[in-house]
Amino acid sequence: MFVLSGYEYLLGFLLVSSLVPALALTAAKLLRPSRRGPERRTTYESGMEPIGAAWIQFNIRYYMFALVFVIFDVETVFLYPWAVAFSQLGLLAFIEALIFVAILVVGLVYAWRKGALEWS
Amino acid sequence: MNLAEGVQLVSLGLLSFMMLGAALGVVLLTNVVYSAFLLGGTFISAAGIYLLLNADFVATAQVLIYVGAVNVLIIFAIMLVNKRQDFAPLPKAWIRKSATAVVCLGLFSLLTTMVLVTPWNLSAEVASADSSIIEIGKHFFTDFLLPFELASVLLLMALVGAIILARREFLPEESAVAVQQPILTLPERPRELAGVTPGSPDRTIASKPSDRNK
Repeated sequence: MFVLSGYEYLLGFLLVSSLVPALALTAAKLLRPSRRGPERRTTYESGMEPIGAAWIQFNIRYYMFALVFVIFDVETVFLYPWAVAFSQLGLLAFIEALIFVAILVVGLVYAWRKGALEWS
Repeated sequence: MNLAEGVQLVSLGLLSFMMLGAALGVVLLTNVVYSAFLLGGTFISAAGIYLLLNADFVATAQVLIYVGAVNVLIIFAIMLVNKRQDFAPLPKAWIRKSATAVVCLGLFSLLTTMVLVTPWNLSAEVASADSSIIEIGKHFFTDFLLPFELASVLLLMALVGAIILARREFLPEESAVAVQQPILTLPERPRELAGVTPGSPDRTIASKPSDRNK
């Protein structure tokens, strides 16, 4: 049914990494002093006093950065099989991948010219 | 060396349980932020199931794109909408809920019959696990070359569209002014000074002679 091979290490890492948060929380619970109070229930915000609610409206610029990131993320996924099979593919595949990248570089240049990568 | 069948079955059961629980949480929880993060859990469980089915590249792409990109976009979209107190329950929500239930039950029954009816001919011979990415790469550059290159054009279109939408270049003038209204501190300022920031003194200099002419 399954043909999983070479994933024993992944399973080991999964087990160890799932133990890490449980161990950290229990160790902290054993070590820390137990106090009750209103300060204990506030959100930790890098040592500052938290101001206002956590759910505020963020700037739309963040969304543009996220969109640009998504597009180049998808490009990475497309280029990964080419990179793995690079030695078995010929020069033609290299040129085709260059065309693929060049089309996206056009988009990158457009984003750069339009100032989408800057935070003004 | 294969993992024991028992380990694989237990992993499949755990992943399915995680996936169903997270999916139910996505639908049933009222807080949108919890739903978004549980959707990430659903995607990760799907990636684990792909890994169990020996589709390692699909699992990697699932984690990279769905967890790393699509879910991040959804969370960003939640961050961009208004605050929580702006959500109000809709009047006559039961009509929408019943319609959604009918559609979902119909889809579920359709998929169930499809799963039960389809003859699953699992081939006995197995491609070696290492070469699946190489196989995908070979297909990309031989018989799937045109979709591969079209994908880059599609990505380019998405990039340009995202930038245009986020920059609001093509909005009409009134709505653009209305959008920029919170930046203005003095409402009685002339309109040509509205877009001027302290970093760009050119336009203020250019607008002064016209004031003198008046």
